[in-house]
Amino acid sequence: MVERADDRLVRLLGIVAYLDGAGPVGVDELARQFGVTPERVRQDIDALWVSGTPGYMPDDLIDFDAYSLEEGLVSLTQGRGLTRPLRLGTREAVALVAALRAMHTTPAVQADPERAAVVASALDKLTAATGEAAQAVDVRLGGEGDARVLGVLAHAVTTGRRVRLRYVDAADTVSERDVDPVRLVTQDDATYLVGWCYRAAGRRTFRVDRVLDAVPTGEAVQDREVDGDVDVFAQVAAEAGQSAQVAVLRLASPARWVAEEVPVESVTDLPDGSFEVRLRVTNPAWLRRLLLTNAPDVLAVEPADVAREVADAAREALAADDGDADDGDPPRLG
Amino acid sequence: MAGDDAAGGPPTRPDERLLNLVIALVNTSAAMTKQQVRSGVHGYDGAPSTEAFERMFERDKDTLRALGVPIVTVEGSGHSDEVGYRIDNEAYALPPVDLTPAELGVVSLAAQLWSDKTLRTDMSRAMTKLAAAGAADAAGDAVAGLTPRLRAAGDAYGPLLEAVSERRVATFRYRAANTGRVRVRTVEPWRIAARGGAWYVVGHDRDREATRVFRLSRIDGRVRVGPEAGAFTIPDRVDVDAALGAHVGSERTAHLAVVPERAPVLRARAVEPAGAVPRAPQGRDVVTVRFRSLTALADEVAGYGAAVLVLEPAELRAEVRRRLTAAAGLDRAPGATGGTDGAGGPEVRHG
Repeated sequence: MVERADDRLVRLLGIVAYLDGAGPVGVDELARQFGVTPERVRQDIDALWVSGTPGYMPDDLIDFDAYSLEEGLVSLTQGRGLTRPLRLGTREAVALVAALRAMHTTPAVQADPERAAVVASALDKLTAATGEAAQAVDVRLGGEGDARVLGVLAHAVTTGRRVRLRYVDAADTVSERDVDPVRLVTQDDATYLVGWCYRAAGRRTFRVDRVLDAVPTGEAVQDREVDGDVDVFAQVAAEAGQSAQVAVLRLASPARWVAEEVPVESVTDLPDGSFEVRLRVTNPAWLRRLLLTNAPDVLAVEPADVAREVADAAREALAADDGDADDGDPPRLG
Repeated sequence: MAGDDAAGGPPTRPDERLLNLVIALVNTSAAMTKQQVRSGVHGYDGAPSTEAFERMFERDKDTLRALGVPIVTVEGSGHSDEVGYRIDNEAYALPPVDLTPAELGVVSLAAQLWSDKTLRTDMSRAMTKLAAAGAADAAGDAVAGLTPRLRAAGDAYGPLLEAVSERRVATFRYRAANTGRVRVRTVEPWRIAARGGAWYVVGHDRDREATRVFRLSRIDGRVRVGPEAGAFTIPDRVDVDAALGAHVGSERTAHLAVVPERAPVLRARAVEPAGAVPRAPQGRDVVTVRFRSLTALADEVAGYGAAVLVLEPAELRAEVRRRLTAAAGLDRAPGATGGTDGAGGPEVRHG
């Protein structure tokens, strides 16, 4: 892929400023510092070598020590005024500071005071260097979680200790599982623990706000090749793709978020402002809950047995609630 | 040497032309006129016409300014009326940052947060500049085992950020959630925000003459950015969460009647009730929780069906019943549920 001109320019300017501060540096080290290949660095040096002030006579050009370069050492002898690192542009400052602010507020970071302190100091230093512009974007992620549970999990991930979880799934069923934790993934509005689950004998992803309790078992985790870098949304979508059960929901406009946040197969806008989503059902309990919660905006559900099941559950709940209303005793002190 | 002359040599690459422009404008004693740039700076000599040169030079100035290079214009003086250009050397430099390896590790991890290509590009340039400032090797220990991830903001992000940063009016077609209709909206944007996995822009809606929140995924087509910079002022304090209705009202208490063994997630949040507690029906436990958002708790409770009933407050119970009543009609003919009735409707008006 051809590199963008502005990306390369930033690196070309950066290399001169870096060398001016750091002194002679090996080609490989310079490549590592800027996250590119040594070949790229050599091309960059060649480009810098022929650049300079108008006139472009030898004394006008950026210059390096040619003998050192033959030895693989980059030594700047003339920087032509580019010796200071370029400040951050508005967009860069925004991307950097907003990401750090978001990180700082995540429950996974807040659960560990030491970690939170490192993020806070990085944020302070960069905010000082970038100024006010960075306020333009304000990102929060990770939702809320039980700080104690999260603290245990964060510590277990860092120290590589097995934990016993009490976990409740979407169907409201509680299970106890021993898990070798690998990673805490903060994605959108929730935090997830990715780990090797002994009960399932495989990699599993647990929503931290559904972990009722987490206790270290005292054992170290076993050495396994578990890739913890899970994209939860993509994973859910991939699992949904495997499911044979399809549901079609016609929803009123206020439920538009369903089309935006749930992995749906298709969205069709209808003339009256309502819309239809088609989705594959991997978790019937989840769909039942979605429909109960958003029923005022649900206009139609297919297949009919899904609609009936939800309606039955709702009628049962209303009957139970009516029963409670008939029972008109005055409140008493707890 | 590349691009040595206009007559047949290989054309100078844009990145190398930009580099030579920066060097020229950093080193110029007073300022350079366009004509001096065209005849003197490597890479512009190949422009076939004055128009082509002008376009090239304007684009290059925009590119450099976007990268943070402070190009200033100098009014002509003395023998020339022509405007000149130079780089403000005072404003050019990044102030010292001095990140520790652990802090740099945090920054590297934070870089993974963005899904959008444009945000990733912005971030990687920022990282290159920090590397140029001598930032040492990153140490990941402080944030080991963490992955932050946020869904993409989409195409509206770029123009909206420009509008917020330069205080320009933004215009876009928007699908309103409450009606489903698409209308053109004219907005003074104050903040771009992400909450709960969704992206929003918060600002003053010029037609509605009120603060409004727009969800980026509901913007239909392109965002147009107004020509005038500094067209409005952004309030000193913009409370994104208040605009989104996240912290509606003060914290309140709800008493719920829960079937034994059910709703452990609610039970885990239970607090010790202060004062009188209503009696639960036979065979249920009273679980007392604190809440701020009535709709959020009503959603949660309704999702449990008969396993969780509301004892108090009556307002919450009515909200839950509104959901259940609608759900109880779902197995009737399609469309018979009647949609929203507005009773106890949403707490915020989005857009």
